[in-house]
Amino acid sequence: MQRIEFKVGLFIAITSLLIMASIGYVAYKKGVFSKVHTYTLSSKSGDNLTEGMPVAVWGFTIGRVSALELNDQGIVLIRIKIPDRHNRMIRANSKFVIDKPLIGSPRIIVQTNNLNALPLSPEMVPELTESNDINEIIKRARPIVDKADRIMANIEHITASLSDPAGDVNRILRNAETLTARFSKKDSLLAMAVGDPESVKSIHEAINKLRDITVKVDGILKRVDGMAGKTDEEIYGQDGILPQLRNILRDLLGKLAKIDVTFDNINKVSYEAADSAKDLKGLRNALDETVKSIGNLADEIDRKIPFKARPEIKLP
Amino acid sequence: MISVMIAAIGNIGRAAMLGTSSLRGTLAFAVRVFLNFFDRRTYNSASLMVFIHQLYFTSVQILPLFLFVAVIFGFLINGMAFNAVKNMDYLGRLLMGFVVTELSPFITVLLIALRSSSAINTEIAVMKVNREMSTLNSFRIDLIHYLFIPRILNGVFSMVLLTSLFALVVLSTGLLVSSLVFGTSVDTYVDTLLRSTDVLDIVILLIKCATFGFFITLIPIRIGLSASEELTSIPISVLNGMVKVFVAIVTIEVLSSIIRFI
Amino acid sequence: MTFFDSEDALQTSLNAFLEEHREHLGLVSPDIPLISNLPVWSNIALIRQYHENMPWEEAKALAVELLERFGMAKIVEQRSHSLNKEELFCVMLMRAAMVREAVVVLDRPFRILSNLPEGCFLTDAFHKVDDLIAEAHIFDYNWEKGRYGATDCAKD
Repeated sequence: MQRIEFKVGLFIAITSLLIMASIGYVAYKKGVFSKVHTYTLSSKSGDNLTEGMPVAVWGFTIGRVSALELNDQGIVLIRIKIPDRHNRMIRANSKFVIDKPLIGSPRIIVQTNNLNALPLSPEMVPELTESNDINEIIKRARPIVDKADRIMANIEHITASLSDPAGDVNRILRNAETLTARFSKKDSLLAMAVGDPESVKSIHEAINKLRDITVKVDGILKRVDGMAGKTDEEIYGQDGILPQLRNILRDLLGKLAKIDVTFDNINKVSYEAADSAKDLKGLRNALDETVKSIGNLADEIDRKIPFKARPEIKLP
Repeated sequence: MISVMIAAIGNIGRAAMLGTSSLRGTLAFAVRVFLNFFDRRTYNSASLMVFIHQLYFTSVQILPLFLFVAVIFGFLINGMAFNAVKNMDYLGRLLMGFVVTELSPFITVLLIALRSSSAINTEIAVMKVNREMSTLNSFRIDLIHYLFIPRILNGVFSMVLLTSLFALVVLSTGLLVSSLVFGTSVDTYVDTLLRSTDVLDIVILLIKCATFGFFITLIPIRIGLSASEELTSIPISVLNGMVKVFVAIVTIEVLSSIIRFI
Repeated sequence: MTFFDSEDALQTSLNAFLEEHREHLGLVSPDIPLISNLPVWSNIALIRQYHENMPWEEAKALAVELLERFGMAKIVEQRSHSLNKEELFCVMLMRAAMVREAVVVLDRPFRILSNLPEGCFLTDAFHKVDDLIAEAHIFDYNWEKGRYGATDCAKD
């Protein structure tokens, strides 16, 4: 009997000691024995507030909501308990935000920028502000949405400009047509004035290319008309419409610059032929105007459309 | 027509009464025993001796096997948990929310029920067959004070102590597995467990263990008492008792889960 | 000693007597056996442990002392099934004597001591515990009367 008593006693003593030690350790670590500081927060609404709700700093729970009260002024008073070892996180400049994540329970986040600031007085009642994931996402998405709005406005502007009969592109086309017509009429005069068959040939080539370019630009106009239904990739991608348009316009500029050089030569050679010079001067002016307007248009397109190697517009 | 309906309703009532008579009987017996916990006469030298013997047979004798089972389970569960769950927070919740609060009491109650409940049921049935209850009555020894309460208290104590021991062994094994096999620091492991520890869960666990211990000893006693004075009634009594113990374990498990998740 | 012609008469009279002396009753009868899962000393000590909250060491010492009176110290840790009829009877008598101011009742003792021809053994046994018992009563059948009065020791 004594042996049994001893064994049973030993079992109860050791097991109880282990249990008590474990519970004591958990209680100690959970701050049951440590001094607890109580602070009061205020809020206009008690929505999402519950007793036992965690109070966290940088993702770590440092305390809990111990009680909720409604005062005479209809303000919700929230009492939070913070163990002594975490009390240095609560400073006079701390901000208290109720965080409502999309998934999971709400909690109170303490934001303390300066841990060396004065401690928060228990008599002070800081206000609890509100934040939640949806608002945060909207806040973050706002610049992206604004940027997308601006891009859409630019596209609309360009589309309108292209389709406007008085717009820049149409003006270029008209100028190009006028130029072409005038060159076709001045063929014999040119040959006569220049007296250089190679120069005449060069001018003819330029005029033919200008025709090709006109046809291309016309095609682009039609494609731009249908741009509203296009996707981002089709508009801005490497093979999209707008990069093509830019390339073509740059090509057009290059060609017209070449014509400009040729005409300079013509001017120099036929300086003394008054009639020819008069016609050639008109021709030169028409070319100058065309080059200038095409250059302006290309610059404007470059400025307005942020051509990129790859499109990067991402909406939430 | 009305008389037929009345008869039908009467039959339903009778069937319900008959079906729940065992439950009502057990609950009434439980109340009677529970009230005797507060009777000073319960706590005497003879009852204490029975209690010590019962605790010895239920908890101390089983200890080597029990610790071995706990260590094996500890290695298995922690190994699987550390492999399957990489997130330490989830691991903590798994260990505290499932292993400690559900698995530990369940394994313990199964071991105690298989070993001690069956023994108690047989012992009481044999005493009944041998007319040893008359002996106690003749000497004015209260059956509840001397026979039942020491056994039931032993069930309660053994369940609480052994479940706690099981949980501690499993968690300690987890500490070994985490640091030796998976290279997790002791502090991280302990912090993970602490973060997942809810005092309310521990309180519910202890109450659940005590309830398990109470009923897995009370039911075999009650069923053992229902044995007749024939030897053949002993196996029948043990069979009935063990089935009812199993039903009680499932019922308490379900009820405690409902309370925990409300 | 009270003798009866029939079992019914004996049983009725015995039940009435038991009811009357319930407070201090120490019954020795095959109908109230020893507790089979307790050792001999515990069967004897149980009464004092339960009613007087006597510590088990003290109760055991008392039981051992009584067993020594009967020269049966060796059976102190044995269980009931390993005892012979005389030992069984003596342990039952010692248990009955543990009741304070015990009114010891022997209910048909030759049902236990079926191997004994006469009651000399009973008288000897009573003498060994007479300091512990207030009264002693024997209930038996008329046809067993000779077993009690046939010898000299019965007169004691």
